Amino acid sequence: MSPLLETQNLSKSFGGLAAVDEVDFHADAGEIVSVIGPNGAGKTTLFNIVTGFYEHERGRITFDGHNIAGMKPNQITKLGIARTFQAVRLFPNMTVLENVMVGRHARTRSGITGAILRLPWTVKEERTTRERAQEILGFFGRGLRRREEDMAGELAYADRRRLEIARAMATEPKLLLLDEPTAGMNKREKDEIIELVGRLRRELGYTVVLIEHDMPVVKGVSDRVVALDFGRKIAEGTYEDVSRNERVIEAYLGKEHEETA
Amino acid sequence: MSAIPVAVQPVPMGRSVRIGLIAGAVSVYLCAVGIVGGFEGRNVVTGVVRLGRAMLILVAVAAGYALARPRRDESGQLIRTPLGSAVAGGATAGAVTGAALGALLLFIDNVEQGVFVALGRGLAELLSLGQSAPVGALLLVIGTAALGAIGGGLALLPATLRRPLLVGVAAVIGMSLAEPLLSPIFSELNLESGWLFESGGLAVTGAVVVFLVAAGISYLRAREGTAVRDRLARLPTAGLTSLRIVGVLVVLAILAVLPLLVGGFVSLVLTFVGLYVLLGLGLNIVVGYAGLLDLGYVAFFAVGAYTTAVLTSTESFLVTDEATRFAEAGAMGFWLALPIVVVVAVIIGLLIGAPVLRLRGDYLAIVTLGFGEIVRTLVLSDWLSPWLGGAQGVIQIPPVPPEAADFRDPQRLYYLILFFSLVAAYISYRLADSRVGRAWAAMREDEPVAEAMGVSVIKYKLLAFAMGAAIGCLGGAFFATLLGSIFPASFSLQVSINVLAVLVLGGMGSIPGVLVGSFVLVGLPELLREFREFRLLIFGAVLVAIMILKPEGLLPNVRRRRELHVEELEEEQYERRVGDEETGAPVLKASPNPEPPS
Repeated sequence: MSPLLETQNLSKSFGGLAAVDEVDFHADAGEIVSVIGPNGAGKTTLFNIVTGFYEHERGRITFDGHNIAGMKPNQITKLGIARTFQAVRLFPNMTVLENVMVGRHARTRSGITGAILRLPWTVKEERTTRERAQEILGFFGRGLRRREEDMAGELAYADRRRLEIARAMATEPKLLLLDEPTAGMNKREKDEIIELVGRLRRELGYTVVLIEHDMPVVKGVSDRVVALDFGRKIAEGTYEDVSRNERVIEAYLGKEHEETA
Repeated sequence: MSAIPVAVQPVPMGRSVRIGLIAGAVSVYLCAVGIVGGFEGRNVVTGVVRLGRAMLILVAVAAGYALARPRRDESGQLIRTPLGSAVAGGATAGAVTGAALGALLLFIDNVEQGVFVALGRGLAELLSLGQSAPVGALLLVIGTAALGAIGGGLALLPATLRRPLLVGVAAVIGMSLAEPLLSPIFSELNLESGWLFESGGLAVTGAVVVFLVAAGISYLRAREGTAVRDRLARLPTAGLTSLRIVGVLVVLAILAVLPLLVGGFVSLVLTFVGLYVLLGLGLNIVVGYAGLLDLGYVAFFAVGAYTTAVLTSTESFLVTDEATRFAEAGAMGFWLALPIVVVVAVIIGLLIGAPVLRLRGDYLAIVTLGFGEIVRTLVLSDWLSPWLGGAQGVIQIPPVPPEAADFRDPQRLYYLILFFSLVAAYISYRLADSRVGRAWAAMREDEPVAEAMGVSVIKYKLLAFAMGAAIGCLGGAFFATLLGSIFPASFSLQVSINVLAVLVLGGMGSIPGVLVGSFVLVGLPELLREFREFRLLIFGAVLVAIMILKPEGLLPNVRRRRELHVEELEEEQYERRVGDEETGAPVLKASPNPEPPS
């Protein structure tokens, strides 16, 4: 069986500096993969290329049997890839519920005629959109449901991260890309995210790729870990394998040891 | 929160003098540009006070009032003013104001007319109350000192008394200014209005009645207001919706009967307001909903007007048959032309939209600005003049409907415009709360993220331009039939700016805001004749004031209000967060309020 997402020889440089360099990456259906690496290793660039934010220079990207290289972000979303952002990027002046409802855009069809004339099927679609959005918010417990009419910009930090995941879930993805989902969170909230990622696979059948700095989280969620450094893949395997890999320790953990020592 | 500690301190002398100087400068300025002299022709309360002098009185009272209101020191500590100091300080500030005016009076008396035309005999008489200049100057100082002292005392009155007083005075001034609008209504309804209005202002009895009614309502509202608001807050959503529907119906009823009561001239003004409502609703979709700052919106106005003109004018190049020309009809009637006008405008909208798809914010504004100018230059050009008339424009556009004989009945057109405005408002309202509206809002908030959520940015930008063009061109179409002839000069950058100002004034993205903004910006200056000469000056001042005091516009939509009053919201949010500790949400930002609540 071919993997859900696969890149071959993927390369992208900024002003001569290789941000992603000949990276072969894949994620099988139902897998949870962590991408690790020091700052500037090209992790987010990899996400940006896969989701169509950046154009790549060389290499192939296939997703679910489609060649998605050169597609626009909205087309890629429609095929089934959703993402969150390193620095949370919500629509701050829309309500919590509206944020999630925007996520339903790719899965709904109503146009202006339907909206103006309130055609029966538009009304119905609008209602299902709302119900689906509320259902998704309910996935995160009562906290977000209670604030669904508040502006997204008014939420506390951890709730913003949760809402961003909820919005991504609303696009009904097959593959979910999480960019540092636990950044800035405390221990309890991190545990929550670990559990959430597990539930996303178990209950919704998602494949999840996450960029993560926090090693206990990486250990807690990943089936497989991919380590990048200077845009190159330097190691791949189980958490135990990768964390013992010398190049990884040198590039990533090693530096941290030196710093703390 | 614990009670805020309040200090009581007298106003320092320097502050009194400073505020007095500011008020003095304002007064002298108002005199020098001719506003005071010009407005003196208008009665406020007939036989008692006229508008010019009323303005000076207000400035002096306001000086004392501003001085004595509670203030804050550098550390944010609230300071109240004791009564004695308020009165004395107010008197000082007033006296300084008066001194400035007195100096102006002496200046006029001793120096012959110079640069400032407004500084002449008339003003001197107005200021000196008919006395000789030195006596007049002295009287001015004493009078304004008393006014300042009154202002100072007024500021210390408890809110339950102060509000009604201020509201009453504002109502008297407002009613007297509305006289040209209201008098015709009274006579149309055969109502006796002699007790209320007298020679262009309020009669004394009328002023007393207006004051008492307004003050009374304000007093009762303050007493009952909280109770009413509580009851409103407890209403279920369905109740609120029906309340809103009732409100809309009332406004509609007023709009429907208004032109019947106010007569031809005011009807014409209302028709122009209606044109701006149409333009505003169109631009509201482009700027308010989709966040695309379009400074060339006049292009759609021009396309609507010119397409209508060419299609319906008897002088149009489309009319070649002499017989048709004699029949006083163009290539087609207005109603046949209108759908074509909309289609043409949508096509132009897409043409203008296509090249700017990749631009955002400031860049988009500059490029659309250019497009607006290009359209104006094109209709003015010799190249297109065989078809569009160049500088001669297009004339002989028949009125709508043609049976309305020779005269262009503004009341008829008013209802047509009202109808189309309602349609446009309904469309905007529906779109705002739909999949399309959410896609626009998402695009406005964060374009790349909207795209990542599956929104085709290209499609929705073009859709916004097309919708904006379709609605805006209607304004142009009615403009053409209203005037009967159109010229390139009517389609200047000023139109784009005015429409944008309507949106800013009323509140971006707000449909009632468009109505209010159009009325204030287009309607009021026509109705307040004395103001016309100074309209730009006054509007400059009003716009600045609104942007400082209510940056979200007069009737904002909820979003903008939240966006622009961040500080208040942060405080609110802080309190709420402290309120529900059990959620354990980390407080990441330093709170704006350092005091922990007890």
